[in-house]
Amino acid sequence: MGECNGGPSAAPWARWCGAALSGLALVAVATPSHAQDTAASEDASIAADAPVEIHGFVSQGFILGIQNEYLARSKRGSVEFSEAGINFTKPLTSNLRAGLQLFAHDLGPLGNYRTQFDWYYLAYHATDWLGVRVGRIKVPFGLYNELNDIDVARVPILLPQSIYQADHREYLFAQTGGEVYGDIALPGAGSLEYRVYGGTLSSDLPRTAPEGVTVADVRVPYLYGGRLLWYTPLEGLAAGMSGQGVRFDVDYRLDADYLAGLQAEGLVPPEQGAELPVKLRVIRWVASLQYAAYDWELSAEYSRWAGDIYSRTPEFLPPHLVNERYYVMASYRLSPWFTPGVYYSGFFANVDERKGHENYQHDVAATTRFDLNAHWLLKLEGHLMRGTAALDNPTLNGGANRADLEPTWGMLLAKTTAYF
Amino acid sequence: MRLVPGVLGVLAAPVAVVAAEAPLHFRLVVHPDAAPAVLERQLVADIFLKKTTRWPNGSPIAAVDLRFDNPVRREFSERVLRRSVSAVRSYWQQRIFTGRDVPPPELDSDEAVIRYVQSRRGAIGYVSDRVETGAVRVVPLR
Repeated sequence: MGECNGGPSAAPWARWCGAALSGLALVAVATPSHAQDTAASEDASIAADAPVEIHGFVSQGFILGIQNEYLARSKRGSVEFSEAGINFTKPLTSNLRAGLQLFAHDLGPLGNYRTQFDWYYLAYHATDWLGVRVGRIKVPFGLYNELNDIDVARVPILLPQSIYQADHREYLFAQTGGEVYGDIALPGAGSLEYRVYGGTLSSDLPRTAPEGVTVADVRVPYLYGGRLLWYTPLEGLAAGMSGQGVRFDVDYRLDADYLAGLQAEGLVPPEQGAELPVKLRVIRWVASLQYAAYDWELSAEYSRWAGDIYSRTPEFLPPHLVNERYYVMASYRLSPWFTPGVYYSGFFANVDERKGHENYQHDVAATTRFDLNAHWLLKLEGHLMRGTAALDNPTLNGGANRADLEPTWGMLLAKTTAYF
Repeated sequence: MRLVPGVLGVLAAPVAVVAAEAPLHFRLVVHPDAAPAVLERQLVADIFLKKTTRWPNGSPIAAVDLRFDNPVRREFSERVLRRSVSAVRSYWQQRIFTGRDVPPPELDSDEAVIRYVQSRRGAIGYVSDRVETGAVRVVPLR
């Protein structure tokens, strides 16, 4: 047919052709393609079809401390061990999802049923290997950090406390900021799951301190970290590495008697006043190994947390401290309703000071989970402990020094959870 | 295929792998417009655990499960996901309550799964091998 030349001197058919092509071009620019229409309508269909998903849980537990107290005043038993949560999630498009979870708990002196946002987010999942999430997000540290206050999502009542301390949730469980994540297939070599995040912690951090000391203010200028999990070609076997850096700026206030005592022992300079600002930078990492296939779950993790303290009182507050944490854990689902498990965990508060029962804590635990039906479970658990390194809550054990507590002690726990 | 419980359970894993050669009593079904002619087991497992959410052509995958107490679900879970139904439910509890994701919908019957798959582009499910699959496409599992 030849070229389409729509100029005034062109043949009639050429002018028609040029006009038609111009018209088609305008239509193509002004109107989305059919493929784009289809994708947009699929997205709209997904958003319209998908309801708001609502899930929730309520847990009630009981702790009996034998010789020493941990988590709650429990020598005569304590029911200050409750959790409740409800979450709402909805896909907005095939790539975009929003959700939030409200949570309240009571754990000894902590929580007191104050309702808070456990997590909330807007997540854009561009591809399987790249997504972005912003909001208040659970921290991916090790295999189980995100599950620490979700009883239904794990076998034991208490995860190995050497790494997953239940009474430090404000510091460890969630951060406010953003995260990049994804799953990368490695043909013939399994897959990689990665998560990289940055942000800060809640401004409402606990202000627990020894008698004579008051925490006037706590700020977290930054927090960052990530986790890489390799799901190996061997079905169920995964290995991973997590790391995190965080800085705490703490303003302490020392009462007069406490300050005088420190000055008398030469732990603080004579000119030290009541105000003591401290910067604490913590770097922590954990190496993880897990086999989870069929009805087995075997896990082992090793971790070190290093703290650098910047203050005017290095004799009183050691400038550098590294602690060591590890555990091995096993569980097996004997039947759909019964899963027993065991673990051993170890904690050394200072790798340079391993002697003295106040500097370590070993925990041998046996646990059982009974799934009574699809929405209700019961757990029973016992712990035998040697060492008191983690008994640092001044509101428990009468505020006694860790070195003065019983070196061998135990706990019995029971917990029931209903969920939907 | 049933796994031997208790202390012999640790020996059951290699037994289960060998037993995977036994014939399947379910069939994978996909929407008629879905691309794949055959599906690898690992890919199907990743789809139903939502580790893979898009077909190779980029269109979203809509997976659908049978109810947790359906025997076809149990076989699918053990043969394809290599986990018991209870273990898969635990996996989803972890993801639900940490805000990571929600599980595929669970439907009561093979017929409901077929209707779901037929009505959604990119959908995939599984049904008993005794059921008429109608207009949905059956895809071999490799």
